[in-house]
Amino acid sequence: GQEFRFGPCQVKGVMLRELQEAFWAVKDTVQAQDNITSVRLLQQEVLQNVSDAESCYLIYAMLKFYLNTVFKNYHNRTVEFRIMKSSSSLANNFIVIMSQLQPSQEDEMLSISESAHRRFLLFRGAFRQLDIEAALIKAFGELDILLAWMEKFYQ
Amino acid sequence: AGALAAPQNLSVHSTNLKHLLRWSPVVVPGGTVSYSVEYQGEYESLYASHIWIPSSRCSPAVGPECDVTDDITANVQYNLRVRATLGSQTSAWSTLEHPFHRNSTILTPPGLDVTKDGFHLVIELEDLGPQFEFLVFYWRRESGAKEQVKTVRRGGIPVHLETMEPGAPYCVKAQTFAKAIGRHSAFSQADCVEVQGEALPLAL
Amino acid sequence: AHIAEDNSDLLQHVKFQSSNFENILTWDSRLEDTSGMVYSIEYKMYGEAEWLAKEGCQRITQKSCDLTAETGNYMEFYYARVIAVSAGGRSATKMTDRFNPIRHTTIKPPEVTCIPKVRSIQMIVHPTPTPIHARDGHRLTLEDIYDLSYCLELHVNDTYQMHLGGKQREYEFFSLTPDTEFLGTITMDAHQLSKQSAPYVCRVKTLPDRTWT
Repeated sequence: GQEFRFGPCQVKGVMLRELQEAFWAVKDTVQAQDNITSVRLLQQEVLQNVSDAESCYLIYAMLKFYLNTVFKNYHNRTVEFRIMKSSSSLANNFIVIMSQLQPSQEDEMLSISESAHRRFLLFRGAFRQLDIEAALIKAFGELDILLAWMEKFYQ
Repeated sequence: AGALAAPQNLSVHSTNLKHLLRWSPVVVPGGTVSYSVEYQGEYESLYASHIWIPSSRCSPAVGPECDVTDDITANVQYNLRVRATLGSQTSAWSTLEHPFHRNSTILTPPGLDVTKDGFHLVIELEDLGPQFEFLVFYWRRESGAKEQVKTVRRGGIPVHLETMEPGAPYCVKAQTFAKAIGRHSAFSQADCVEVQGEALPLAL
Repeated sequence: AHIAEDNSDLLQHVKFQSSNFENILTWDSRLEDTSGMVYSIEYKMYGEAEWLAKEGCQRITQKSCDLTAETGNYMEFYYARVIAVSAGGRSATKMTDRFNPIRHTTIKPPEVTCIPKVRSIQMIVHPTPTPIHARDGHRLTLEDIYDLSYCLELHVNDTYQMHLGGKQREYEFFSLTPDTEFLGTITMDAHQLSKQSAPYVCRVKTLPDRTWT
């Protein structure tokens, strides 16, 4: 079957298509709630030209943030059934990915992990500049940007 | 009247990635009991355990069964629960004793129909939906013949597999591949056909 | 207190209609009579602060505007908006959903040449150009943009199908009956994005077998 290869990190048991379809089912509804069109959390500096070696660190940090902060708080705010269902499907597949990611902790990888961390801090910094409600909606609405980037590592 | 009894004996029956949650019906003479089903995945139980999501197809359900296939969309453990409703009364929730993982689904060998049209070997595989592909193995039953394999993306339509030559039967067997969980079924029974006929007449 | 005027009747269904990366902004109005109405179009990339006015679509009367050139980075995310002003001076502004060309565009049927022979039918799929230019100026094809594969089906007297498929351009269905009609359908599949083109359909008849005449 197909799998993710984030550099040395290999992830099986996730159908990228299922994730995309889960998000696409609610994309317009969610993105319509985000009326700050002049701010983008996942800017090009966060996701562009990410090396293979960096990608495992970056995806680990991103998914951890989405699971701990975005889905958790967004879950509490949405009662619309379709969004709950899509959010659950995405979150549970992110759990499957996270459970298989083991970014190397070796010293020679320090500079690479720090580079990935700077990219993540750019994203989180933009998130924290917004009011929490707006930030959650925007982060959830940008999942298509994250999924499009993850697709590059799907084989 | 006492509190409405909660449904008992919850179990999941899963075959070919179709998951049915079943329970013992709650019987109230003269009353029509309906049921609500909810689920939570590993994410909800770890990060937001108070959150349960109504099942897509069974909120409410009329009989003691619910197809939760569309709710189970990741390779994690899922908790499932059911409660009964009669008029304004609702029972307590009953929760599935052991969480369900779709990896445990039973994969059956695919139904396979082998026919011929002239020299064409034609097969039709059981339609199991978009979650499945089929690996079809076929060979010419004679000494030294090599087994060939083809992937068939979907069932339910007759498909040309090979062009046969007279003189020996052609045999076919198939297995399913469940893409979401990366598992194969056992092989179907092999089925063979032979094409009669003579070689094309020589030019005079 | 100032009660905001509700002009939502002036504008509705503001959206991109996109196929093969030709991205047309369209809209309509709930008003019966839209004479005297003028529309002005603005667009931007998601995350940009400034709205940019689309040249050639300022104070226009028709209800569509071609934004293909302005939305040429097919991986990017865009917004467009329409500002409508009625003859009587009422105005309304409406924005599209977030538009991502690579995902939103529909794929038209491929260009195919079907060549019947006596006991086979050859099919040649031609590359599909798009309006998008690479940095070096050459026009990109759909094959450059998507990881495309072709799916070819030959329907044999309505009882079964022959399947061929892959990424190459030339295919041939063999061991067919001479002087017989077949129906071929060819689609392009961008599997990763759950996208598939509409089918190209060709109805062809194999040539008569004159070997023994």
